[in-house]
Amino acid sequence: MSTHRIHFTLNGARREAEVPADRLLIDLVRDDCGATGTKLGCAVGVCGACSVLMDGAVVSACLVPAVFADGTSITTVEGLADDALTPLQDAFIREGGFQCGICTPGQLIAATALLREHERPEPAEIRTWMMGNLCRCTGYYGIERAIDRAARTTA
Amino acid sequence: MKFTNSATVAAPRDKVWARLMDIPAAARCVPGVASVRPNGKDKYLGTLAVQIGPVRLVLDGDFAIIARDETAGTASIRADAKDSRVGGAIRATMNLALAEQKGETEVRIGTDLTVIGRLGEFGQAVIKRKADQLMQDFAECLARQVTMR
Amino acid sequence: MTFDYHEPRTLDDAVQLLARYGEDAHLLAGGTATVLLLRQGLLRPGHVVALRAIPELGGVRRTADGGLRIGATATHRQVERSGDAYAYSPALVEAFASVATIRIRNQATVGGNLAHADPAQDPPPILAALGGAVTVRSSRGERSLPVEDLAVDHFTTSLAHDEVITNIILPALASGTRAIYLKFLPKTADDYATVSVAASLRLAQNGTIADVRLVLGAVGPTPLRLHAVEDAMRGRPPDRVGDALAMIPEQVEPLDDVRGSAAYKREMARIWTARAVARLAA
Repeated sequence: MSTHRIHFTLNGARREAEVPADRLLIDLVRDDCGATGTKLGCAVGVCGACSVLMDGAVVSACLVPAVFADGTSITTVEGLADDALTPLQDAFIREGGFQCGICTPGQLIAATALLREHERPEPAEIRTWMMGNLCRCTGYYGIERAIDRAARTTA
Repeated sequence: MKFTNSATVAAPRDKVWARLMDIPAAARCVPGVASVRPNGKDKYLGTLAVQIGPVRLVLDGDFAIIARDETAGTASIRADAKDSRVGGAIRATMNLALAEQKGETEVRIGTDLTVIGRLGEFGQAVIKRKADQLMQDFAECLARQVTMR
Repeated sequence: MTFDYHEPRTLDDAVQLLARYGEDAHLLAGGTATVLLLRQGLLRPGHVVALRAIPELGGVRRTADGGLRIGATATHRQVERSGDAYAYSPALVEAFASVATIRIRNQATVGGNLAHADPAQDPPPILAALGGAVTVRSSRGERSLPVEDLAVDHFTTSLAHDEVITNIILPALASGTRAIYLKFLPKTADDYATVSVAASLRLAQNGTIADVRLVLGAVGPTPLRLHAVEDAMRGRPPDRVGDALAMIPEQVEPLDDVRGSAAYKREMARIWTARAVARLAA
């Protein structure tokens, strides 16, 4: 098994790691970097709990080889806010966008990417974009309302 | 999963039966079968190499003739095999029936296949199709072998 | 999983690695399929050759003759968002947009999709219906083959083990050609189709069908091009092809699975092809 020295940024901070060829991005982020905000759900790329941003694009960290992080900028849920919560995070609280919280990091990551690409998405656009982030608790309406509220707040 | 395969052999039933009961020779008619060796009365060990797309499996198994009736022209074979690297197993029961008509024999094989473990993740439909193809190749190869002798 | 990971920077280097390691090497593009197969232990290569660092394999661009070139490592999302792709054929963009979720589309590549050869995938039928061809490179040289000749069985292509898909080339479309991709998704929105229909159609001056291509997904071991139905439709007015469409249930080879019974899929193949043709002719 080969190992590889990779260089990347995680939530704005320059990082370096030595990873075996078979390491996954989710394990790099959670175990090697200690950023456990990203959750492992289905482990097959379907549920969206492990969503992270890689050079701004939402991907399933459980499907991305860690070596692919080399030369990229990774953002996890821990990297969304500075001191204060973002309007999106605030909206999730106000609109009941989470209950148990296990899907929430993934929801926030996906929604952040949506709002960066579409300032004021229509409800149908929100639903299409967020379709791959599963939630067992909320029934999704709170999530959708939160994203809509955040879009109206920041736009 | 269940499927049935058949082939017609231009030979009388007793010749086909004799060929079928020569298990090591008949087993070679299944594509990918290798190293078939006896392991007791009516019992055998063997390996089956199967490829589905990029996935290559080597199933190590044992099989046994669990019933036979030469007069009726029927036999049953039970096979158990596993690929220990991938972590999965198969169990199959094959019911053979030979029926003669006008000097030709129809060989029917009814297979009941269960896939256990990792192998099952591949998708039942794909596995069934592969097994179906193997059994059809077996039936056709048997037909060719008997008529060639 | 135990393998050595290689990240060649040029196509020549990649091809040399494949020649050297032969069947012990497996290509890695986006990773959505390969990573799962590796994790499950179904694939056990000694060497994994990644294509991500080879710039010439990327990109989506109109060609000088009015066609479209899609690089093998272009992602589904890149095709979905490409103005060039939309100008070439909106149906192409819609087909790519219908794949799975945004995360998969961000990661999975077009070449990897074709190499994976799952018969329920969305891109192969539309690429075939538009007359697409793949160029393929190995240490033995380069060749080209139609997309519809690539998949030969479930998860099995006609490619040799040391061959890499480099490009997907779509030809300039004859003036008046319209295309459509319909995906019948009775289960969840991120699923594979129960039945999908990719169709292209061109009408003659007198309103009859001059040219038609019908390629169906998820109803056979590979995407199925309905040659016999096409032949029966050519020269007919598009609203008089009922008997040609009636052939469809017997032309497809679906399997029973969680997305529907074989009998159901046979009927849906006919119905959704009829819808595709009606929409194209409208």
